[in-house]
Amino acid sequence: MVNLHDIKPTERIISLREKTISAERYLSIEQAKIITRVYQQNENLPVILKRAKALAASLSEISISIDPEELIVGNRTSEIRAGVVFPEAGIAWLSKEIETLPYREQDPFNVRKKDTEFFRENIEPYWRGKTLEDDIYRSYGQEFAAIEKVVKINQKDHAQGHICPNVENWLRYGPTGLLKIAREKAGRESDESKIFYESVCITLEAVCRFIKRFETLASDLVESQNERPAKENLEQISAVCKNIAIKPPSSFREAVQSVWFLFVILQMESNASSFSPGRMDQYLYPFFINDLKTGKTGLNEAVELMDALFIKFNQIVYMRNAHSARYFAGFPIGFNITIGGQDLSGNDVTNDLSFLFLKAQDHIRLPQPNLTARIHKSSPDEFLKECSRIISLGTGMPQIVNDDSIIPAMVKAGVGKDDAMNYVLVGCVELSTQGNYLGWSDAAMFNMVKVLELTLNNGVCMVTGKQTGLQTGYLYDYDSYSDFEKAFAAQIIFFIGKMIEACEVVERCHQTHLPSPFLSAVIDDCLDTGIDVTRGGARYNFSGIQAIQIANIADSLAVLKKLVFDEKFFEKKRFLEALKSNFAGDEVLRQHCLHLPKYGNDVEWVDELGAKWVRFFAEAIGNYKNYRGGSYTMGLYTVSAHVPMGQNVGATPDGRLSQTPLADGGLSPMYGRDKNGPTAVLNSVSRIPSDLAGNGTLLNMKFLPVYFNNEYLRDKFSSFLRGFCSLPIHHVQFNVISPDELRKAKADPESYRGLTIRVAGYTAYFTELSGDLQDEIIERTTHGE
Amino acid sequence: MENDHKDISGLIFKIKRFSVHDGPGIRTTVFFKGCPLNCVWCHSPEGISPDISIWHDKNSCIACGQCVEVCPLKALRLLKTDSENIIEINREICNLTGNCVKICPADAIRFTGSVISVSGLLSEIEKDIVFYETSGGGVTLSGGEALHQPEFAEAVLRVCKEKNIHTAIETCLFAEKEIIKSISRFTDLFIIDLKLFDPAYHRHFTGQSNEVILENFLYLASTGKEMVVRIPLVPGITDIRENLDSIEKLVSSTGRDIPIEYIDYNPLARNNYEKLNLPFPQDEIRSSNVR
Repeated sequence: MVNLHDIKPTERIISLREKTISAERYLSIEQAKIITRVYQQNENLPVILKRAKALAASLSEISISIDPEELIVGNRTSEIRAGVVFPEAGIAWLSKEIETLPYREQDPFNVRKKDTEFFRENIEPYWRGKTLEDDIYRSYGQEFAAIEKVVKINQKDHAQGHICPNVENWLRYGPTGLLKIAREKAGRESDESKIFYESVCITLEAVCRFIKRFETLASDLVESQNERPAKENLEQISAVCKNIAIKPPSSFREAVQSVWFLFVILQMESNASSFSPGRMDQYLYPFFINDLKTGKTGLNEAVELMDALFIKFNQIVYMRNAHSARYFAGFPIGFNITIGGQDLSGNDVTNDLSFLFLKAQDHIRLPQPNLTARIHKSSPDEFLKECSRIISLGTGMPQIVNDDSIIPAMVKAGVGKDDAMNYVLVGCVELSTQGNYLGWSDAAMFNMVKVLELTLNNGVCMVTGKQTGLQTGYLYDYDSYSDFEKAFAAQIIFFIGKMIEACEVVERCHQTHLPSPFLSAVIDDCLDTGIDVTRGGARYNFSGIQAIQIANIADSLAVLKKLVFDEKFFEKKRFLEALKSNFAGDEVLRQHCLHLPKYGNDVEWVDELGAKWVRFFAEAIGNYKNYRGGSYTMGLYTVSAHVPMGQNVGATPDGRLSQTPLADGGLSPMYGRDKNGPTAVLNSVSRIPSDLAGNGTLLNMKFLPVYFNNEYLRDKFSSFLRGFCSLPIHHVQFNVISPDELRKAKADPESYRGLTIRVAGYTAYFTELSGDLQDEIIERTTHGE
Repeated sequence: MENDHKDISGLIFKIKRFSVHDGPGIRTTVFFKGCPLNCVWCHSPEGISPDISIWHDKNSCIACGQCVEVCPLKALRLLKTDSENIIEINREICNLTGNCVKICPADAIRFTGSVISVSGLLSEIEKDIVFYETSGGGVTLSGGEALHQPEFAEAVLRVCKEKNIHTAIETCLFAEKEIIKSISRFTDLFIIDLKLFDPAYHRHFTGQSNEVILENFLYLASTGKEMVVRIPLVPGITDIRENLDSIEKLVSSTGRDIPIEYIDYNPLARNNYEKLNLPFPQDEIRSSNVR
């Protein structure tokens, strides 16, 4: 094994990192101008060709820049961290919000006056009524509104991401190799796929030109530099770009640069969240080891390249509308890198590069990339220990996923064994195979806690007083717990039906508006079949639906079952009144609710109440096929949605007050209610059937830094991870910080600008989160005292 | 009657899972109620008495007054002041009927301990068996003083050994030698609290002299049993250089390589005294300034 111990971040890296975090964020309409012009010039062409030409024009024209300090170059805008306006997907939201964008609480962007004017005068008028967003709302707007308190449908105004392209192929063939394949196919296909292949070819040709522009720019910049090393670096950038524009990469540096270009271009085509590089320690390994052996790249250089790449991942952010920014707070762009794990035969494949990635995390400590470590029962101790050490730094990474739980779940969902063995995480915690999977994650978030509230109140929303669900009766109409359960089931089925209709509308509109030829070139089996990825060209076509939120469901049902139905400790009318009045004047009742056993404490009967409805939900959505002919799979994760989703829900039987946040994460216990320590939490979580969550699960845990003070304790933490690995739980991640420190950071954001925190499957700057989300994170139970 | 020992019950006041400071690996620590010593720095005063009493947590209490109504002996009352309402317990009258514990909606009134059977405790311990296996952990009996309930302690350790669970006991060794002998058959590791070397000081600060303790310590060391020594560092009392030197000398006199851990004093102990309406002993020490 290589020794990385003494390798420190170089001055270059420290400087690049500082420039990245101090960069101001601006709205950028440059690409929107280009796209608008191309669409105007090609009104009569099929959409896929318009999209291809618009991407090609963008690749040829968008202003590019190189910071002479950079080792890895390229971005989709000349400024870093810009919020890119993407008109095909939707600008109705922006036309409402462009003036308030700099002032919104969550994820603000600066806007230049001339950009607002150009947007108002030229972009908005052309696109009004023509975008994905407009089409979706025209088709289904009222229905969305009718169910919005229960179901949040996503991807209504932007392209679908959460995709891991086939990077291995990209590196094997390079853009010209893929172009050759597409051209060969194009000759012998039907009309529709002819247009598809033509579009693919247009984009790939432009990709080569784009990379060449960096070759030219770098060589033009050589003269501007006085120092020899700076000149040499630019010459090298130029040479690297020259090679990879036309050939597959032949060195580690070329491979890393090539991977970065792939992700820049995917963003330029789709402007979507969460294109993930997948198992980088595997597909980059041959380049790395070859360079190391031949002396072409030294170990220090390899680490510096990795550090440079990690910084690049932080230079693209993703601008959402104000509403979505609350559900996905802090710019989770989801460049998820998966390290460690097994090969197809089950052998451990943790390698030197896996450790190199951990080293880069140690050096850079920024929100991106999202680093995920795959572990399994034969993972080497050294790897677990190093993961523990990096976790102890407090960046929330790497998050840990469990091969022994995930692979069977994916197979159960219908993925082939080999593809499942090769699984990766995309975005936050969403599961995917590598290079052939459109999982349509976050298709919708289903608020089961809201449905529970409606079931208690004859379908009437306790927050707004509107009839929202079925009229199945009031709490006092149900004679027994099982009567109540029947009504709960009926309400869930009702809203699932509505949700599926909405999902179909969304997917249909994506096919119409956002075919993605470049993405299709790097997703198997689109190039073989001639079918665009949005139309079902990928080998796997899932849609992920999140069930939210199991802790509040289990805790609430425990109270209903025990105190209301079984023991009749509370009279039903009084109980319902207490909920409707947010426990006003009935604190005694609320205290009883709060002090019944809770999910997360290893109390089997409570956990099972939650598990039952997870099972029910998974089976219910399993009855439907999605618009691409694939299956719906369940996810148990919330991103940051537990805060806004909680705002939709009145007081709940678990003692939670009206409109306060739900439990965080997905499988986490309600914050502050898990009192028996982290092993009890894991035991509770293990009772929820993760094997039905083919879309992924999320568990947050918070530890005090003192817990990691020495190697003796860190070793105990590693064995805790091994214990996690022997339970049927997909995922766990750790914040290592004291609540006091977070309170200080909230009060004094300037001094804590660099502080990152794990929100939910992703890391964000703590001081960039809205106040209510900050408070919720502070309230989460801290272990290790 | 092979399984007789499983029917034995004992009195405990806490079970702490994911305990990482009481022996190797990840452990479950069981706190036994009752202690022969009465150390002035004790941070779990609820563990000293062998009897159950009432624990009142003012922070959780919502002063709803239901406990006042249900007490047949009228041992509780609701004090209304301008700023807050407070529940007061007259511990002289209280005979532990427990109606207040049952009715309290906020779990603010609790018993300080509970009776649990060996098999009941075993099933709690077994919940984390996965983590014992991955970490080389197991169970640790602590207290109070586990040896103060010798039959129960031995039975618990025995059933754990039957399940192949690593066993440790954290003890002050103030017990009859026969008990230690018997229990060590089922104990993998002794964690021994040595507080003060000087017998007079020991008596003054813990209520008992330490001859028995030191004798047991040397005996146990002679058996070759795995041991760790722990010294609580109580400012001005045990952390005196002379005391530490003497204990270290004693340990090295065994001729064995017995590790010594120094435990920082827990400054949060005061809260636990308040919940029992007990005076905080160190306030008294400070004022009397014995040393």
